[in-house]
Amino acid sequence: MARNDRAGKVARTGAPGGGKDSGAGPPVTSPPATSPAGRGLDWLNLFVGNIQTGFGPFIAVYLTTQGWTETSIGLALSLGTISAMASQVPAGAMVDAIANKAAVVFFSILAFSLGALLFAIQPTPLPVYLAEIIHSFSSCTLGPAIAAISLAVAGPAMLGLRFGRNTRFASIGNGIGAALMGACGYYVSERAVFFLTAALTLPALVPLLPLARLGTGGRAAGRDAGSGGWRDGLRPLLTDRRLLIFAASLMLFTLGNAAILPLIGSALTERVGSTASLLIAACIVLPQLVVAAISPAIGRLAETRGRRLVLLLGFCTLPIRGLLFAAASDPAFAVPVQILDGIAGAAIGVLVPLVTSDIAGRSGHFNLALGFVGFAIGIGATLSTSLAGAIADRFGNSIALLGLAGVGLAATALVWGAMPETRTPQPGTP
Amino acid sequence: MTIRGSGLRRRLLCGLAAAAPVLTILASGGLAASPGEPPAAQATGQKPAQAGPAASTTAPAAPATAPPKPATAPAATAAAPPKPKNLEPLQSAASSGILGKKVTGPDGRELGLIVDVVVAADGHPLAAIIDFGGFLGVGSRKIAIDWRLLRFDPGQPDWQVALRLSRAEVQAAPEYKPDAATNQMVGPPWEAPASRNGEK
Repeated sequence: MARNDRAGKVARTGAPGGGKDSGAGPPVTSPPATSPAGRGLDWLNLFVGNIQTGFGPFIAVYLTTQGWTETSIGLALSLGTISAMASQVPAGAMVDAIANKAAVVFFSILAFSLGALLFAIQPTPLPVYLAEIIHSFSSCTLGPAIAAISLAVAGPAMLGLRFGRNTRFASIGNGIGAALMGACGYYVSERAVFFLTAALTLPALVPLLPLARLGTGGRAAGRDAGSGGWRDGLRPLLTDRRLLIFAASLMLFTLGNAAILPLIGSALTERVGSTASLLIAACIVLPQLVVAAISPAIGRLAETRGRRLVLLLGFCTLPIRGLLFAAASDPAFAVPVQILDGIAGAAIGVLVPLVTSDIAGRSGHFNLALGFVGFAIGIGATLSTSLAGAIADRFGNSIALLGLAGVGLAATALVWGAMPETRTPQPGTP
Repeated sequence: MTIRGSGLRRRLLCGLAAAAPVLTILASGGLAASPGEPPAAQATGQKPAQAGPAASTTAPAAPATAPPKPATAPAATAAAPPKPKNLEPLQSAASSGILGKKVTGPDGRELGLIVDVVVAADGHPLAAIIDFGGFLGVGSRKIAIDWRLLRFDPGQPDWQVALRLSRAEVQAAPEYKPDAATNQMVGPPWEAPASRNGEK
């Protein structure tokens, strides 16, 4: 409750400045949570978080039950990874170029639905490859488009709070999605998970209705300072030192982070009895709960104390977590340690769109910049599992976890040493 | 949650190789043309692998699981009209494919999925590779289980492979790595480890 009161206060003090500013979108006088558009965004994030769950490592399980070999599953998954990497930046540029961001979200969600149906109906190679490509591309347009709508809805002064709420509802959706799909896979069938995913895309379309009227706001966010021409703004943006360091530090962080959960999960499977799957589920869902609880506060902290502090706070949990896991003898200890993952998840979930909008929000290339950051994160995630796997094969799990902690330390050091503060001094200053 | 697989280098190459035909098909607008078996089978070789273990449950000398025998090669490339001689029935009431089958313990609870079958030079199955445990694909481990520890019940609808050992007896088995020089499998507990035929 106290949290909401404070949010309202910040919003009220911030609103006049936001109105004067020529910034992104129409002036918004109500707090982000209570406007219809704000509530629409909340629900949109929740349902989108929901439907993204099914497309994770679960695809490998599903294809295995359909008689796929390891090799062909690897092929399908790497096709998805490659097309995601290849489409991040172009998809961002495409979203920049389209004025109606709500339409982008609409078609991205429909594409999600189509991908899930392809998986469910026809799990043979070609439809699966097609579904992987469709899903990869649409997830590259969906995230940036939602961030761009948020930019238009909230205005620059309340952006931290807005992204805090986005992250909160996305992780609630993620947690619910994981629970629903886990239950569905266990009690019904693996195939039903994808039908469920496809069905859950329908409610995701409903909250778009209040947002669709914001079409001109989206245009303002995307094209605001674009008078100098499309390419003129691009070069200084992609050579902006802040964006490069931000992307590099996120790549390092993800390199150290992505492999931790699989490592811990297989250690649990090896050492704990029949409760292992439950503990792994807890390791996945608990961080989502933490993210849901703290991300609005994280967003507020980023507005009041600056981005750098929050980024450091999130990043420094990784070396600590790696060390704790490496030192822990009891695998059940893994679950409480995952709280740290939630802190990092909230910080990154809020700061990726927030810092990117600090740097590129008015360049007309906001989505392209987000795609660039997403590309860096994707590289880190892709290399992480092979790096950790190689170390674990040779030296064992503990050394692999220590190595990942070391990478996390390097990421933290990079932020500490090189990442400047990107917050504009006062909300609303030109 | 977009973490995906390991063995990256190989997969990257495979993925690139697969992207080309898929994209050409997309470009030519032929994507609706049902499963598109020819390019898929070419790229993955999945279908033959699927048929192999199934046959081996009924007839140990199944042609598809015995790659060293050159005699089976002409049958595989059967593009020419003449049908292979000696066609024999493979009844679904008495035989079944096995990749992706669920494995259950003595208590009836699911332990994992069969992802591969390891065979000896004569095509005789030695071990099943089981993707064991995990939640939504996270945290599962591959372990090798002696083929003789498994019971099959093809013909029943939705049948599952029954493992005669409990979860506790197999869960700490060393992880199976296809590329390793030596792997270890869980053998029957009533046998001395030295007498196992996997050591040949």
